[in-house]
Amino acid sequence: MDSEIETRLIFIAPTSDLTPDRIARFIHNLGNEVTVKETCYGAVVEGPKEAVRQTLGEVRKLDPNRIFSKVRAFPVGDVRRCRAHHGSRPGFAQLEKEWKDLCLVEQGLICVEEGERPPTPKKRGRLPIKELRKIVDEVSQ
Amino acid sequence: MPPNSLILYDLVERFGHEPLSLMKALRERVTSNEIEAPPLNITPEDVKMGLKYAAIEVPSGIRGRMVVYGPLIDQADAAIFMEDAPYSFGCVGCQRTNELAKLLVRKRKVPILSLDYPSNEEEAKDMVYKVKEFLEGLK
Repeated sequence: MDSEIETRLIFIAPTSDLTPDRIARFIHNLGNEVTVKETCYGAVVEGPKEAVRQTLGEVRKLDPNRIFSKVRAFPVGDVRRCRAHHGSRPGFAQLEKEWKDLCLVEQGLICVEEGERPPTPKKRGRLPIKELRKIVDEVSQ
Repeated sequence: MPPNSLILYDLVERFGHEPLSLMKALRERVTSNEIEAPPLNITPEDVKMGLKYAAIEVPSGIRGRMVVYGPLIDQADAAIFMEDAPYSFGCVGCQRTNELAKLLVRKRKVPILSLDYPSNEEEAKDMVYKVKEFLEGLK
């Protein structure tokens, strides 16, 4: 495959009002030379690097702190990954975990945008024995 | 690290740097016709390349992964480590590979930012702020 072709995942944070359907339609309307596939978390875009980046830039403008993106190794609809072809998706556990935490990252981005200096978070301590005992009792009941 | 993280990839790119990702490194492999079932298969050439990063007695799984991680480490100008992350965050693979990769990054003496995976809003704000400060300091 041409090395100038890039595949990108576009994620919508859970707190955003945007839907994958709206993102996919928006990308179609841009008229860039890219392939777009709607997914449960947002969309997958594939095409020449420049066109993909331009598309991402436009999509980001819709909700800058709630749209996230990363590149993907496998092309769109690759039979080894595409669920329509019963492909496996071993990386999905991570994508799901990170997608759930995007609302936290969003708060961080807002904070940085406003030029705020966040307070130092409390240090994580060890689990007190009393708490551990409580959990054990809850589980064993 | 982990090199396949969405959050880290996005933040690094957002703050004006080029993230070195596992996805990009695997792209060539998964789109090349030479490998039968990528990324599970490696070529004989990969095995030799892996020796540059991991000794012969190191388990083959680690050496195989280092073939992909190693060139990324060689190219890196700086690194961000996400520590204490939940099990579903990062490559679903070998923790020993991650340890070795971190060691090799430290040996290169590039600037490193170590962060804890955020579990609440306060920690997330602190994380994003530190990432921004770190990346802006590199320019």
